[in-house]
Formats: sequence, structure tokens, C-alpha cells
Amino acid sequence: MRFIISLAFKNLMRYKRRTVITAVAIAVGLMMYIFVDSLLLGAEYESMRNLRWYETSSARIMHTDYREDRRLMPLDVSIEDPYSIISQLEQAGYKAAPRIMFAADLILHSEDFGEDGNMAAQVTAVDPNLDNSVFRFADTLVEGRFCEPGTNEVVIGSWFAEDIGAEPGYWITLVTRGNGGFYEAMDMQIVGIVDCPNPNVNRTLLMVPIDTISDYLAMEGNATEINIALPESEDSGKAVERIQDMIDPTGKSLVAVSWEELAHDYIALAEAKRGGTGMILFLVFIIAAVGISNTMLMAIFERIRELGMMRALGMNDRDIQWAFMVEAGGIGLLGSTAGVLLGVLMNLYLTVKGINFGRFMRDMDMGYRIQSSITGVWSLGTIVTAFFFGTILSMAVAYIPTRRALKMDIPSCLRHR
Amino acid sequence: MKRRIIMSILFALITIASLSAITAEEIVRKMDETETFATSYSEGAIITTDRFGVKTSTFKAWSRGAYDSLIEFTSVAERGQKVLRTSGELYLFYPDAQELIRLQGAALRQSMLGSDISYEDMTGEKDTLAQYDVKLLRQERVGERNCHVLQFDAKTRTVAYPMQVVWVDTETYMVWKGEFSTKTGRLLKEMLVLETMVVDGRTLPKVTRIADKMKRDSATEMRLDRLEIDVNLDPAIFSLQNLTW
Repeated sequence: MRFIISLAFKNLMRYKRRTVITAVAIAVGLMMYIFVDSLLLGAEYESMRNLRWYETSSARIMHTDYREDRRLMPLDVSIEDPYSIISQLEQAGYKAAPRIMFAADLILHSEDFGEDGNMAAQVTAVDPNLDNSVFRFADTLVEGRFCEPGTNEVVIGSWFAEDIGAEPGYWITLVTRGNGGFYEAMDMQIVGIVDCPNPNVNRTLLMVPIDTISDYLAMEGNATEINIALPESEDSGKAVERIQDMIDPTGKSLVAVSWEELAHDYIALAEAKRGGTGMILFLVFIIAAVGISNTMLMAIFERIRELGMMRALGMNDRDIQWAFMVEAGGIGLLGSTAGVLLGVLMNLYLTVKGINFGRFMRDMDMGYRIQSSITGVWSLGTIVTAFFFGTILSMAVAYIPTRRALKMDIPSCLRHR
Repeated sequence: MKRRIIMSILFALITIASLSAITAEEIVRKMDETETFATSYSEGAIITTDRFGVKTSTFKAWSRGAYDSLIEFTSVAERGQKVLRTSGELYLFYPDAQELIRLQGAALRQSMLGSDISYEDMTGEKDTLAQYDVKLLRQERVGERNCHVLQFDAKTRTVAYPMQVVWVDTETYMVWKGEFSTKTGRLLKEMLVLETMVVDGRTLPKVTRIADKMKRDSATEMRLDRLEIDVNLDPAIFSLQNLTW
């Protein structure tokens, strides 16, 4: 075996150009595999994180009757005295914040916006003192400031602001139905613009102070939801069970739900996408495999005469088979090592800097909750798989043509062109 | 001079007496009576004018008492669309999608066929005194007609317009004009009757203009071409089953 390894190594060194070209083909294929896998996993991971950070929070408490109708945003089924529940949650170590969600007609005035207009909008009433402890809007402010409690102030998503031509200082009017059904019209001044990484939020966000809205809409201090931030490491299912036991063990009036339930539609979509993602990776895998196979086949076929000479000199077929496979494995090892190194380097850039897809994301909705930059994630499994795949596949593809060559008689091998 | 003063005082007294002869509640009761029929059938059109142009949608409508009404659109673009209001419930039916939608909350405010009339306005309940406290403000002329000017302040939070000011004809008790506002007095909608018709001894609006004051440059006219009152109606008309047929 030592002789075979030594022979394979000598051959690798003898055909340097071929070794390098084949190894580069393997390296590029594996690097692409590691890169694409990191990008797709990163998109999914970041999407889920942006959902929790800006849209659903980790878990939410709502009125039991609100759960089914939450898309209609009814105000008459709400949580009484939300701050006592929040203090209970804080004692248990959870950060929580109340919100009121409601639908409104957004009226734009020509004095500020150049022309009059109106559109349907979803409004999020938040407690300015607590909301940023659960959601991560604090770092997203790009203009102005956040709204103050008790004021007629509104903070708007940057894409929404671009769409309607809004700037801090402009006034808008929100016309909606209060708790019970009465009409209310509220003049609000835009005081801040946030550039939220979650495109769904950035396209629609209108954030107003909860106490102002509570007065306007006769909510009497109630909230339609209490959002909870859980530590990243905590199992949301178990935490939700614990919270449910804490607030209402029977679940008759209040219910705690995890972000997975709140983002049920997205998760179903993500699972469907995962099938597509697997297909993309499979295609990358096939491209890498075809590249490796092709170069190895070429390498074996051009050396059939050499193989015939080795047989004529008395080397047995089994040793020749092993010599070629080890040589192929050597090329695979070189290529895999280079591919993994290149893949790691590219992934390093991807995880630190990311790639900005902002121009594409702005005008289309792919379902992912990513606004512009996609950053990669480290997947040790993928790197190890890529390494072994490159080496073993090289050996495997060397096996078949060598075996076929060994079935030829020696004169045919020597005459082979 | 003395005689002139006495005459003036007498005239003032007579005016005050005639004003106080009828209370605000009585005016509202008569107003509701004029607008409410045991049953009715009507045909008409909604003409919407906005910056994109003029759009006409025709309809047939059936009503029963103060709470039940059904509207079916007959114009080509909306043919077969139905709006059913029963006590506290409002449903839409779209024939193309064979879909029944229950409206609630903010959805009730949605504009009907792009007009300035919301689904709720079109099918609104007519039991004013149960919903509002009423105050007689003054008398005022609208066009050629003398009107009582009444202010309605909502008793509950379940009515759409917390404050209304209406101009009710002193003789026919038809509402000539209405201003619909939020609790703080922010004007949301304005209604003005442009033409009237007499049906079964009652003077009723024939052409009404409604303007959403939150949207500039838009107005909607509702025209009734035919109105029959106290007609025989199948009670099943106001059922959900009928809506999907």
C-alpha cells in the first residue's frame, strides 16, 4: 500500500498542470456549494429573526376571541389591564410590551404631500417606553425621533415614506372606527422614519403612541396584544406553556401563542421554499459532481497507455486500480481542501458584510423578511460534507474508467489514443 | 309706536310658541317614520364623480322595517353583487367568486363601489332615538324650505357617527341636509338632497348628493328612479341563503 501511495503521489507531482486544473475544478464546485448553502440558510435564518424582531415578537398574549379574528383587528376583544400582566411577566424574567393594532384610512393632504389622497393602512400603537425592549426598532431610526407618549406623533417605515413622499414634519390624518364602532379622525405629525430590515414592516409601518390611541378609540387602557421577547436560546413552545399557566391556565379569556403560530403562513411558505432550496443545492452539487467526474475521466482516459505499460511490466490489476483511485483521491483531497478554504473565505465575507440585494427586494415580495442585505451563516455540516464529497467522489469516478481500462487486453491499452 | 312694539312682542311670542310646540324627539320620530317603511322596493343609481371621471352603478333594493335591507347591483361591472344588512350584521356576496363576506369593524367604512357612500351608510339602521340624544338648535332655510336644525349626539359607542347635524323639513319631515362628524366635531361626510319625490303621501329624496369630506374632489349622487312602499316581500329575501342564490 505504501508503494501505491508513493506512486500516486509521484504521479500527482509528475502531472502538475493536470493535477492543478482538476483540483481547481473541484475547488470551484465545492466553494460554490458552500457559498450557495450559506446564502440560502442565511436568508432563512435572517428572515425568521426579522419576523421575531420586528413583526411577531417571540410570543404574544391576546384575548382568546381575538386569536381567530386577529386579521380583522377587532378592538372590542382586548386585554384588560395589560400592565399588570406585563409586571407579572417581568417578574418571571420576560420583557413585554402592549400594542393596539387597528385598520384605518390614511388621508394625505396636498399642503404637505402635493396632492390629496387616501389609502388603507394598518396602524400599530405602541408604548414608546417599552416597545423597544421587545422589538428592535431602536437601531433602525434614520430620520427624526421616536414618538413621545401622549402626543399625536407617528413614526413611519422608510419604504412607506418613499412611496407616499413623506418627510418628518408632515401631517397625516387617520380615519378609523373606535372601540364600539364610532368613527374617529386623528391628525398625526410624522416625527421619525425607520429603515426596518423586515420589508413587510418597512412597507406598511405607522407607529403611534398607545395612550393617545387608547383615548381616541375608547380602549380604556386595554391593549389588543402583549408582545414578549424570549431569549434566543429559549424554546418558544415551552415558554408559551409557562406563560399560559402564569396568565390564565384555563385559556378562557387570554391565550399565549408562539411566533411560529403567528407566522404560520410564513413558516408554511418557508417549508415550501426549503424544497426549492434543496433543489438549488442539488443542482450546485450535480454541477460540482459533473465537473469533478469529467476532469477525472479525462485524466484516466489519457493515461490508458501508461496503465497498459504498468500491466505489461507485471503490476497486478488490483494494485493498478488502487493506484489510480488513490491518485484521484489525492486530486480530490487537494481540490476539496482548496474548495473548503475558498468557501470559508467567501463565507467569512458573506457572514460579516453580506450581499446587498436591495434593488431587487424593493420592488418584489419573495416572502422572505429581508429588506436588502443577506448575510451568510456558518454550517459546519455543509463544510465537512463538501470536503468528504469532493474526495470520495473523485475516487469513485476514477473507479469506473480504470476498471474498464483494466478489462482491455494489454496491446489494446498500449495502442489506445 | 306702542302698537308696533306690542305687535313685535306678540310675533316673537308666537314664533317661540310655534318652535316649542314640537319637541326635538317628536321631530325625530316623524323623521324616522317618513324614512321607514314596513317594506319597500326601489330601483336607482349611484353616480360617483372623482378625479378619474364619472361612474354609474345601478341597483335594486328591498327593505323591511328599520333594520333589514338588501341591495343587488344590476350594472354590468357589478352585476349580481349583493349587500345584506340585518340587525347588527352586514354581508357582501360576490357572484364571480361565489364568496360571502361578513363585514365588521373598519371594513364597514369601506367605500361601496368606489363611491363616497360606505356599506354602512347605504344600509344604515333608522332607529335614531335609540342611538342618539337629540337637541333642537334652531330653524333655518335650506333652499326654499324651512327646516328644523337638529343635533344628534351618540348615546353609545356603537354608532358610526358620534355627532350629526341634520336639517329636517318643518312640514314633510324629510331630511334635506346632514353633516356627520366625529365626537370632536370633525366633519366626515355631508349629505344634501337635490330633488324630491312624493310616494304614498310622503315626500322623499329622489336625488341625494353625498360628499366624503376627508376626500377632496369627489362626490356621489344617489338617484332613486322607482320607489314602491308597503309591498309584499318574501321574508326569505333577507336571509343568508337568499344572498348566495
